[in-house]
Amino acid sequence: MNFDPIMGRMTHRFAPVLLLVSLASGPVTALEGGCVLWISDTSPMRAEGAPARRGGGMGGMPMGGGMHSGPPMKRLWLLSGTDPQKAAFARGDADASVETLLVTPSKPEGESVPPPGEGHRGLVFEMPAQGFYRVYVTTRTLQERMLNLNVAKAEVGNFGHDGDEEEHDRAMTAPRALENAAIEIVRERQPKEGPFSQVRSGTEQSFIVLRKGLPVPDARVRFVSHQGWSKEVTSDGQGRARFQVVRDYFPPWGEFQKRFKATYLVIAEFDATEAGNHKDQPYTSVRYQATLSGSYYPSPEDYRSYAWGLGVGLLAALLSGVATYLYRRRRLRPFQEVRLDEKA
Amino acid sequence: MTNPNAKTAALPYNRSRQAREAETMLDHITDDFDDNPPSMAYFYDLFRRAYCRGESIEREGVRVGTTCIHAPEELIYAFGATPVRLCNGSYHYDQIGADFMPAKSCSLVKATLGMLSSENAIPKTGKLDLIVNPTTCDQKKKASAMMAGMGHSVYELELPPAKESEQARVYWQRSVREFAVRLRQLTGKKLTRKNLMAAMAKTSRAQVAFRTLHNFRRKAPSLILGKDVFLVTNAYFFDDIDRWTDAVERLNAELAQREKDGFCAAQKKAPRILFTGSPPVFPNLKLPLVIEQSGGVVVADETCSANRMLYDMTSVDEWLLNNMVDSLADKYLKPCTCPIFPNNDDRIRRLLDLAKSFAVDGVVYQTFAGCQVYEMEQRSVAEALNKAGIVMLAVETDYSPDDLGQLTTRIEAFLESIKTRKRKAT
Amino acid sequence: MKRLKDAIDGVDLNRFRIWFQLAMFVLLVYGGYLAINLGNHLPMFACGFNQEGRGGICYLMPLQHQLARPWPQLFGMASLGVLTGFGIFWLWFIFLNKGWCGYVCPLGTIQDWITALRRRLGVRYARYTQDQFRHLSRVKYVLLALMILIPLGIGGGWFSRDMGTPFCLICPARMVLPLFTGDLSHLTVDFSSKTAVAMTVLGMLITGLFLTGAFVKKRFFCFFCPMSALHYLISRPALLKLRKDGDKCTRCGDCYRACDMEIKAIADDVKNADIMADDCILCLKCVAACPEPGALKATFATITIFESTEAGFIKRCQKGIGLDQPKR
Ligand code: SF4
Ligand code: SF4
Ligand code: SF4
Ligand code: SF4
Repeated sequence: MNFDPIMGRMTHRFAPVLLLVSLASGPVTALEGGCVLWISDTSPMRAEGAPARRGGGMGGMPMGGGMHSGPPMKRLWLLSGTDPQKAAFARGDADASVETLLVTPSKPEGESVPPPGEGHRGLVFEMPAQGFYRVYVTTRTLQERMLNLNVAKAEVGNFGHDGDEEEHDRAMTAPRALENAAIEIVRERQPKEGPFSQVRSGTEQSFIVLRKGLPVPDARVRFVSHQGWSKEVTSDGQGRARFQVVRDYFPPWGEFQKRFKATYLVIAEFDATEAGNHKDQPYTSVRYQATLSGSYYPSPEDYRSYAWGLGVGLLAALLSGVATYLYRRRRLRPFQEVRLDEKA
Repeated sequence: MTNPNAKTAALPYNRSRQAREAETMLDHITDDFDDNPPSMAYFYDLFRRAYCRGESIEREGVRVGTTCIHAPEELIYAFGATPVRLCNGSYHYDQIGADFMPAKSCSLVKATLGMLSSENAIPKTGKLDLIVNPTTCDQKKKASAMMAGMGHSVYELELPPAKESEQARVYWQRSVREFAVRLRQLTGKKLTRKNLMAAMAKTSRAQVAFRTLHNFRRKAPSLILGKDVFLVTNAYFFDDIDRWTDAVERLNAELAQREKDGFCAAQKKAPRILFTGSPPVFPNLKLPLVIEQSGGVVVADETCSANRMLYDMTSVDEWLLNNMVDSLADKYLKPCTCPIFPNNDDRIRRLLDLAKSFAVDGVVYQTFAGCQVYEMEQRSVAEALNKAGIVMLAVETDYSPDDLGQLTTRIEAFLESIKTRKRKAT
Repeated sequence: MKRLKDAIDGVDLNRFRIWFQLAMFVLLVYGGYLAINLGNHLPMFACGFNQEGRGGICYLMPLQHQLARPWPQLFGMASLGVLTGFGIFWLWFIFLNKGWCGYVCPLGTIQDWITALRRRLGVRYARYTQDQFRHLSRVKYVLLALMILIPLGIGGGWFSRDMGTPFCLICPARMVLPLFTGDLSHLTVDFSSKTAVAMTVLGMLITGLFLTGAFVKKRFFCFFCPMSALHYLISRPALLKLRKDGDKCTRCGDCYRACDMEIKAIADDVKNADIMADDCILCLKCVAACPEPGALKATFATITIFESTEAGFIKRCQKGIGLDQPKR
């Protein structure tokens, strides 16, 4: 038995239930672009890379910063496309069935919220308590005899700087995955991560693909950076896929912003041979697709220099040391402190 | 040059007029009073040997004469040399010294010059290798050249004319460091942290003994008379410092016993006198003696032959050589209440504090005829004391015994007035 | 009671201070590991940038943060927060007065350690002349003013946010204290913007100066510390006080000699009873070095807790007179 930081409970390693799903490694292995749905906390209308307002939790920040009364509100957008900067609002598809689930700190089993539609493009919800909020948008569409099952997920932290430690701790140990999610991606936390930690470019980041709370090996997992650079790997036996969060932010020096907020997108897919009916239409296989997006920021190493810092410090110490020494030497000549000046 | 010494040269010293002067004073000190503390015997004996019998109390090694409390003795000890304070109180030498200085000069300076000019100077501390003459009052300053003229090698230790400013302090610190350099040339030894620390420990042990003695004098009724204490501090001028400290510690132990026994060295109602002004130096203990013979008791003093010489102690923050020397310099300058400095607020505050903490009834202010600085401060001191409700008697005198009768009358009247005031008050 | 008082007055103050400062240093620099948190309004440099080990946070950090809020917010709702913050700071402060500097501040303690190192090496310390002293003594007020005005300017939109917490950027504690928990990340120059470069370079320059300065000059930095200036401005109602009885003072200068901050008035001023100067760190070394009974004393809410005595002075300051062996 060991503690599973993701499910927040004790589990047996290598749970055999996994094999209930027979995995298909069919001919279509490459991920398809067009219909990838994902949730972003930046509206595509907004200027790119605007700095987060303050610090910022891993999954974006509550908006407003407490300016209006009442609990903070959060607005998310459902986008489609695989390039974080070019993705557009997802269009409503008449055939699709969409379910939206919001998991809050006080409702770990989740409650449904109205899905985005024509009138309101964002997913808006209140965050009354401190902790992490997760939104799952599950879309099912039938494509010939294959069911496309897409679960777009977002994780949003709501923390005040004055919140007490206990609340933070509770939030940090709460379960992070749903036991009944058809598929989902969980970002693995960095060591020593706290509620205010941010992902920095250059770090190694791993994600776990789960199906109904259990790891999925051999899923195709793709990481897309803010600039659209992507890399694809296959998840390992524990459902884990590792990526380096590449540094892709190289503006001219004068425009560099150290709080530049970039968005990454992770897409995981696998096919399974499952038969069933969707809206009375039969299907013979299912393509599971999960997405998760998050923000990352320039790493301090990109703009901070030890060499310069130490150099400047040592130089100052050295120069002042030598100056003091010389001054003391010079002072050995007595009665030099009074100088007469003809002009003054 | 008429040298009275020449006439008496044939006589053995102990029968000379000079020895008789000392002997008379010492006899008064010991015999006119009952209940002298037994441990004072060491000091009586020391003075009898040195001044009455002319015995040599010669010191080993390099001897450095000092003409003032401003010469840092710790430095002298640190170089393995011995300081000898040259300020002299003998009428005999005063007369000899009159040849060097104008008629209206300070007896003390004249007597010191007189002693330095004679072959067999009393007390016999041996030939001086160097005289340190701090540049204090004009008379002492001008004495430098005369001492040099007598064949002594003289070092003028430059004291700033004022002490308050930081400039003066730095100037003085530099003077003291230069003095250390001069001592190094003289002795050929090195100044190290270790030997300076040992020297400072020697002096501070003596100072602690002195302070203990000083504190015993706060007690009313008194445990010890002022004439004895002046003798003790006078002995510090030429006695071996460790032996002196031992003797004072014995005296202190005795005083502690006296305190326990409820002993009174003077009458319970004896007016308590604070002595200030020109320094009494044996054998010129005329004035303190008259006060105590007339029924007063000198409970404290503010003079450079006693309190000012031994009271103020050094504090060192970092025991590194330069810092220690600067600390010494500070101690010799900053608390000094010598009237040569422009302001005398420190002296007045010191007197007021002594008067208060020693329950003093009156102050006697001695000025040597010719000592301008003490004379000039007299008015402001009297004013300040009177304002605090303390009476002061100013006495101008010198080393000659001629005014003894007149002094006695004045002192008796002063003490009487104090007693009357006290009676009225109760 | 008398026995206890004598024992306290005779204490070897320097040794007591060494241990007390060490304990406070551990508490404030490593206390975080033991889940100690004294809040973020502490009146000395328990640097908040020592993220992991800090046992409490220096008030200047939240103060600068708060003042940098946008004006409508700062002068509206948030003003209450600023005032309560200041109130908590003030409550902490009046308790020990500047004793926070002499006994608690980790940066002050580090300076004392550097001084101890210099003393071990036998290097003499530097002093300012009176003139330099007078001029330099004003620097801390200038820093305090800038430390308040710049964040206000940020809130008003005149300065870049990269100037946020401007004093922290140049405060040597930010570089030095995190080193004690192995965090080297502040020994860097930040090239992300021109302001950041300027401020971090300045910070590193000051850190370099801090090291040399503290080596040759006792409590080098405290002389310029804006916290010290802030302390002084609000020190009147403080509970711990340094008092002097001028009548008992001989102006011997022993206290001045012991004073790390070169405060001449401590010896020369015989008029003021409330003798704490603006540069004072209330280390009480002067009280320990004063030979005159009752001339200097520390009082807590008017009760005398430590007083100069002759016996205490002799015990502490007269080495090797047979009581104990001379040592460094
Ligand atoms: S950098 Fe300095 S001012 Fe800022 S929190 Fe640290 S100690 Fe305080
Ligand atoms: S003055 Fe010195 S001791 Fe006081 S807070 Fe500033 S750095 Fe710390
Ligand atoms: S040490 Fe004491 S007596 Fe000497 S100057 Fe300072 S306060 Fe006055
Ligand atoms: S005046 Fe006294 S308490 Fe203040 S810094 Fe100087 S020695 Fe310390």
